[in-house]
Amino acid sequence: MTVERLADWLANTNPGFFILFAALFVPFARSNIVRALLLVGGPAVALVALINADGLSLNLSTLKILGYELVLYRPDSLSFVFGLAFIIASALVGIYSLHRRDAMQDSTAMLYAGAAVSAVFVGDLISLFIMWELTAIASVFQVLAPRSQDSVRAAMRYLVFQISSGLLVLAGVCMFVSATGQTQFALIAPSMAGLPVGVMDIAAPGAVLILAGFGIKAAFPMVHNWLQDAYPKTTETGAVVLSAFTTKLAVYALARYFAGLEWLIWIGAIMTVFPVFFAVIENDLRKVLAYSLNNQVGFMVCAVGIGTQLAVNGAAAHAFAHIMYKALLFMSMGAVLYRTGTTKATDLGGLHRTMPWTTLFCLVGAASISALPFFSGFVAKSMVMSASYADPALFVVWIMLLFASAGVLEHSGIKIPYFAFFGHDSGKRPQEAPFNMLMAMGLAAALCILIGVSPGWLYRFLPYEQVAREYLASDLWTAPHVLQQLQLLVFAMLAFMLLQWRKLYPAEAPGLILDVEWLWRRGWPMLTSALSAPMRQLGRWAGGQAGLINGMVGGLARQAFAPNGWASAKVPFSVTAVCSLAILGLVLAIALFR
Amino acid sequence: MSDVEKSEVKDLAPAPLGEFGEHPLSILLFSWMRGKMFLRVFAIILGVVGIAAIGLEIWLAQKTIRDVTSVPGFYAVFGFIAFGAAVLSGWPLGKLLRRREDYYETRSGEAGRDR
Repeated sequence: MTVERLADWLANTNPGFFILFAALFVPFARSNIVRALLLVGGPAVALVALINADGLSLNLSTLKILGYELVLYRPDSLSFVFGLAFIIASALVGIYSLHRRDAMQDSTAMLYAGAAVSAVFVGDLISLFIMWELTAIASVFQVLAPRSQDSVRAAMRYLVFQISSGLLVLAGVCMFVSATGQTQFALIAPSMAGLPVGVMDIAAPGAVLILAGFGIKAAFPMVHNWLQDAYPKTTETGAVVLSAFTTKLAVYALARYFAGLEWLIWIGAIMTVFPVFFAVIENDLRKVLAYSLNNQVGFMVCAVGIGTQLAVNGAAAHAFAHIMYKALLFMSMGAVLYRTGTTKATDLGGLHRTMPWTTLFCLVGAASISALPFFSGFVAKSMVMSASYADPALFVVWIMLLFASAGVLEHSGIKIPYFAFFGHDSGKRPQEAPFNMLMAMGLAAALCILIGVSPGWLYRFLPYEQVAREYLASDLWTAPHVLQQLQLLVFAMLAFMLLQWRKLYPAEAPGLILDVEWLWRRGWPMLTSALSAPMRQLGRWAGGQAGLINGMVGGLARQAFAPNGWASAKVPFSVTAVCSLAILGLVLAIALFR
Repeated sequence: MSDVEKSEVKDLAPAPLGEFGEHPLSILLFSWMRGKMFLRVFAIILGVVGIAAIGLEIWLAQKTIRDVTSVPGFYAVFGFIAFGAAVLSGWPLGKLLRRREDYYETRSGEAGRDR
């Protein structure tokens, strides 16, 4: 009886909660075995719970609070594939970080993973917001982990973006819920072929704010720089953790609420293209991977925008595959950082001599991200490409995606392994990575190959299984499809060799590449410095008027906000909440530009 | 054999294997890549595979060409040009956007390390 009750409880509890629960004990684990059990055991229990879920598309666990029904666990075929990827990634991260002891980093990494898993399985906007914020707060500790001046500054900038994203989502949710009274996504709009995706109309109250909040986390163009700023400054393990969850959680949220929104097609297409140019000239290989992450998320955002069943499948499959191969690439660069102390291309080269396993795993990651046939990227990205190709109106988008595919080969397929492990010999002869790192990389590499060789098992978990099966049976392995992809990659590689031979490939050079962050790190201080003299004069004048203004404002405020004042009596609570959020957002913006 | 000829032979010979400290797996997997002829041979193999892929596409292609993307070899040409364009853009972009590493703040060290 007790076993039955335990099984029932397991089947009806959000799998993310098990990881969150395990995270609470990690700081107190003195023995390495207990620590390993918690880091890997938490995700393992979550996986068992997910596989044994008491049914899909049902509210398995709810909680009534303040008059709202929070849906704590509502798995369906969209959340399943994202949740599965997150759980596997959190286990891989656990294994990858076993060589070091840092209670803060371990526990916050698990909290972050647990929050991300929980977020994809909750069934309402309020719970989503809570988990959304938990991922933001837990993840900032990964950026802080090196405890250097650089990392602390980067963490503060990162936090401003993440909290701004949360504030926008909260403001949007407040407006949406007060206008519609609806919090559960399954009840907002009719399902698309039995699955609630794209449930929110962009014209609905607060929807634009929610989209903007999701967009910051997905690193949309112009708000993408938190990613390239923070990820390369964290530890070797921190970058792996960060790469897996934040942006993919945003992709999930976009698919759930805004699939089919045309704006996303173009935003995604731009996201795929512009990082290619930055990655070409970037010297820090982890920053190259951060740009590459931006580029890959662009494919997913574009697919979400297209919104057909094939496209949503493509976004989900690509997110799953991407979590694995991007984690693998970050792990290989983490191993290089761990052994050599740098990931600068100018300081590396020739590491394959003493780090052959790491080299091999990096090559698998590179082949996967480049979408080489029989590797995971090919079976996932093909669906996105096919979905865009299917609509003649999206021809320009398709061309942009094709260009980005060649660009991916350049920065992640060739540049990362070539400059780190081959290229000119740096003379460095570091030891091979620790066993736990190799094990995590080996498992991720095995998954990349398994998905590529036998995509059927991944396709089974996709949101629209029937469409995925048809695609597998009639499109994926057709000779023209494989041959065309092979042509694209082979001739791009020939271009690389030709450019190297003719010495036309830009040499790696130390330096910092300017990006949009210049606006708040240099532009704003320059502007304020230029305006400081007139501002000081204005300040002196305002100071003279301050007494008078203070008296007037104070009197008005007392009249307005007293218990029986007009604001307290007439203004709805939601407006007050949104105003408070706007003020907090303003403070955050000032903090960013400070 | 003259000294020049001897030096040419030496250049064509594969790099010595088993350098002190080198991982045995590295010798097994990657030592063949160190020969001077490697790049030339690899380029020839890539070229052959690429041309074979185009040839097979022509052989398997439908009779009708719907648009430019269904012309055999489109992906090969596109891949070559797109890759070249992306890389060559690095020259002007590097000049335009590259700054000293301490441009924003004093450089306090490398990327983060685990404690």
